[in-house]
Amino acid sequence: MIACLLIPGFELRAALRACPRLALVPAALAPEAGEEPLLGPVTAAAEAAGVKPGMRLGEALATCPSLVLVERDPAAVEREWEEALRRLEDAGFAVQPVEHGVVVFETRGVERLYGGVQPALERALAAVGSTWDPRIGAAGRRFTALAAASVARSGQILIVAETEEKAFLEPLPLSLLPLTAARYAELEGLGLRRIGELAQLPRGAVAERLGAEGRKAWRLAHGGRKARVRGRKPAVELAEVLAFPDAVANELTLRRALGSLLERLLARPERAGRPFRKLALAARLVDGGSWRRAVTLRDATAEVGRLRAALGPKLAELPAPIIELRLEAVELAEHTGQQLALVEPAGEEADTRLREGLRQVRASTGTGSVCTVVEVAPWSRIPEARALVVPRDV
Amino acid sequence: MVADSGSARAGRSAGRLNAPRPALVETGFDGAPRVVNRELVTLVREEWRVVDRWWTDEPVDRRYFEVVLESGRNVCVYRDREERCWFTQNA
Repeated sequence: MIACLLIPGFELRAALRACPRLALVPAALAPEAGEEPLLGPVTAAAEAAGVKPGMRLGEALATCPSLVLVERDPAAVEREWEEALRRLEDAGFAVQPVEHGVVVFETRGVERLYGGVQPALERALAAVGSTWDPRIGAAGRRFTALAAASVARSGQILIVAETEEKAFLEPLPLSLLPLTAARYAELEGLGLRRIGELAQLPRGAVAERLGAEGRKAWRLAHGGRKARVRGRKPAVELAEVLAFPDAVANELTLRRALGSLLERLLARPERAGRPFRKLALAARLVDGGSWRRAVTLRDATAEVGRLRAALGPKLAELPAPIIELRLEAVELAEHTGQQLALVEPAGEEADTRLREGLRQVRASTGTGSVCTVVEVAPWSRIPEARALVVPRDV
Repeated sequence: MVADSGSARAGRSAGRLNAPRPALVETGFDGAPRVVNRELVTLVREEWRVVDRWWTDEPVDRRYFEVVLESGRNVCVYRDREERCWFTQNA
C-alpha cells in the first residue's frame, strides 16, 4: 500500500518555528520577492478572519488589517524538512519526498515490523511529531493516497481500500488535480466541479479540449497509474557554518568568512578527495529571515581560487546584514583526479569536455535531464514506437 | 546535503521519442485539415493511413497528413480514429 504524509502549509510552519506566538494570530507567509503579490499558506486565525492562501496581498490586508506577514525562511524549510524525512527513515520508511510537506512511502516493507498497516502509519505520524499537524492517506495508487491525505484531518489516518478507490475519488473537488488556474476556470465554465464528473467524460474528448494536461487529469481522475515508490538514498551532510557575534554586511569581511568556510569544507575527510560540482551558500539574516543560493560549477573543482571566484559574487546579493554564514556541498564529482596523457588521442579532449558539460547540466537541472535515444523498433510504422528517450549517467 | 551519486538512478523512467501531442484541427468537407493550431493550411503534401496492432486491446488506426502551414512550417498531423481526435507528430 502507498501512503502519503501531508503537512499543510509546511513553509509557514517552518518559518514560524522561530516565532511560535504568531501561530495563534492572523498570519500569512509573505509573497516571494519579485513575484506576484500573492499570499502563501495562512494560519487558522487568519483563515477564520477570511484570509485565504493565494489571495492578493492588498485584498488580504483589506480583509484583515491585523494580518502579520511572516518572512520566508528557505534555509529553515530545508532544514526542518530534512529532519522530518530523517525521522521517518529512522522509523524504517523508505521515503520519496514530493515537495516540502508532502512525502510518499510504501508500507509493505514495515507492515510486519509494526503489526499491520494502521500501526505502521501511526508510527509514521509519531515519527514526524504532532506539532507539525501531519495527516496520512493510504491507498493502492499514489494519487488516491495524496487525495486521501488532502481530505484527512490533522493526526488522522485515512486508508482507502483498492475496491473503493473509484467511489472515494468521485465526490472530491477538481482542485485536487494538478491543473493550472485557467484550466480550473475552463472546467468550471463547463459545469464540472467533482473528480467523478471529469472521470465520466470520454478520454478522447478531454484530450482534444484540454491537451496533454487534460489527459493527465483524466487519468488521475481514474486513480492514476500504479507506479511504485522509489525511496531516496539518505543524503550525507557536508556543510560548514560560521556564526558572527554581530551582524555583518561588509563585503570584505564576508569574503574572508567565505574563504575560511571553503578551507574548512575542503579539509573534511568525508569528501575523500572528490571535487565539488554544486555548492550552496546560505545565511541567516539579522531580521530573522534567511537567504540561500546554489551554484553549479562549470568544471568540478577543489581549487580554492576557482571556488572563491564562483561563490564570491553571490555575497553581493545578500539582502540584509547577516549573523550566520553556511556553506553546503550539494553534490560532489565521482572522480578524485584527472589522468593526464603525454599525447592526447584524437577526439579525447572533445569527448572529455562533452562529458563534463553533460555532468554540469545534470547537476544544475536534476537527475533525468540528460538522456540518450535508444532505438527499440526502428521498423515500426508507429513513429512513437520506434525509439525511447532513456535517462543516462554521465 | 550531498546527494548520493547512486540517487541518479532514482529518477529513471524512459519516455517515448516523437510522442504525439494533441492538436486543434479544423477540417474541410473531405476530412483533410484546413486549420492546424489556429494556422491556415496552404498545402497538403501527402496523406497516408497507418492501421496496426488490430489484434491487441489498443489498436492503431490513424489517417496522417503532411501539411504546409501559412508560416511555411511543415507539420505532420493525424486523426486518431479510435480516440476520434487530432494529434501532431514528427512522423
